[in-house]
Amino acid sequence: MTGQPRAEDLLREIAPQVLGVLVRRYGQFDACEDAVQEALLAAVVQWPAEGIPDRPRAWLLTVAGRALVDGWRADSARRHRETAVALDPAGPVPAADRGDTDPPGGPPGADRDDTLTLVFLCCHPALSPPSQLALTLRAVGGLTTAEIAAAFLVPVATIAKRIGRAKQRIREAGARFELPAEPEAAERLGVVLHVLYLIFNEGYTASSGPALQRADLTAEAIRLARLLYRLLPGQGEVAGLLALMLLTDARRAARTDTGGRAVPLAEQNRALWDAAAIAEGQALLAKTLGAGPVGPYQLQAAIAALHDEAPTAEQTDWPQILALYDILAAVAPGPMVTLSRAVALAMVHGPRAGLALLGTLDTDARMAHTHRLEAVRAHLLEQAGDAAAARRSYLRAAAMTASLPEQRYLVLRAARLDQP
Amino acid sequence: MKYMIMMFGGLGAATQDRSPDWIAGMHQLLMKLDTELKESGECLASEALADPGQAKTVRFTGGAPVPTDGPFAEIKESLVGYWIVEADEERALQIASAVVGYTEYPMEVRRIMDHSSQP
Repeated sequence: MTGQPRAEDLLREIAPQVLGVLVRRYGQFDACEDAVQEALLAAVVQWPAEGIPDRPRAWLLTVAGRALVDGWRADSARRHRETAVALDPAGPVPAADRGDTDPPGGPPGADRDDTLTLVFLCCHPALSPPSQLALTLRAVGGLTTAEIAAAFLVPVATIAKRIGRAKQRIREAGARFELPAEPEAAERLGVVLHVLYLIFNEGYTASSGPALQRADLTAEAIRLARLLYRLLPGQGEVAGLLALMLLTDARRAARTDTGGRAVPLAEQNRALWDAAAIAEGQALLAKTLGAGPVGPYQLQAAIAALHDEAPTAEQTDWPQILALYDILAAVAPGPMVTLSRAVALAMVHGPRAGLALLGTLDTDARMAHTHRLEAVRAHLLEQAGDAAAARRSYLRAAAMTASLPEQRYLVLRAARLDQP
Repeated sequence: MKYMIMMFGGLGAATQDRSPDWIAGMHQLLMKLDTELKESGECLASEALADPGQAKTVRFTGGAPVPTDGPFAEIKESLVGYWIVEADEERALQIASAVVGYTEYPMEVRRIMDHSSQP
């Protein structure tokens, strides 16, 4: 035994389980979620001061149950409730603590499905992606509203409103607390995976703010992906997404220099890469690839693994990476895939081949608001020896990006081309 | 007293024809100053804005508001970043001077209005 888990980790582990139990018992996802949030806040204050309770799950369930009942009392004072639920507000929550002695590593039986159901509910298609992200982080991730706000660098009130709206939408959509049935399930899983992917990306390439990456969000995305993988070990794309996150996040320490500037893959100090994370990602992939239909997350993970496996940038297996991008372009075509494929193409067949493929994106409206097309073009032009055009592209990309570290990097690349 | 210290110009304005070392030095200066001002508690807020070339300006044209591409002022006169500091004027000017001494590009220091009616 490695001793007591940290109170915070434990709370995040059991928060969705407790919420699942409450929603299953009383319905009213909206009110139950508020109640669990209240209980979480109480635990954050009490546990560090008084120690973790002997039965933390039962504790959280009891406190959340009371908060729920208090909410009803306040409600019924205002208006008559149509759903009279008999509850002893002070008493123990009945049959609440099943599984409480189980190791935190594996939520048992019904809770397992509850957490999964919860994930699907938070990623309901009626919600906008920012709402899905916020609600998932709070209800499944067990983060407080303040923590989510800090992670996204927005005011607490913004996140609170976003979550309030999300829950209202769920109510209006008449969503039920149950796993979606089969034809719909696959599609809904796709949304869930996309939400986790967005949380990861938000942390990995912070879309705004002074820091290029926000480790707290990537760590949370990986934790949620692990949870999902534990619940759905047979789904290749779930394993693929977890592997992709691990294999990408493994390079975190090498992605910025001491001044906070971005360091491109080819120039990163590979000794700083996280070997354990790479090994875990590779093992996941080995178990998954070939076991079922191959999806975009598995393919992207396989590409990330090839980068991670190369001892030096020069030894990267670009022909293999290009082959994987060819499959990816067939399975999940899109401008960002084309962009990456152009880089691989340039590495195998020369920069002019890559530039030609980039040209096909010039009229793509989806690329009009990202600096990435110009940034890649600049690099390929530099490789092709056209310094003047490369410089113009770097500056265009620098003007387009909303990321301060990326802008600084691009301006420096442009300035370097001024040198004789 | 609160002051806003404003920086102007697009990417090219202050960095035109400068060496990579000079530009890296400017980035370092700005980041160091930002950290110092935040640690001392003087800085209440600071933000960098995207390049003014990306701005859109809404003008009242033909009887209706119409957005057009480009900033309101000329690019070299457009706001690209600011600090809001809790300081007296002398200190605010000192902070601006620390940057201008390096960049040789002008900055503006302006008092922020009080909400109270105290004279």
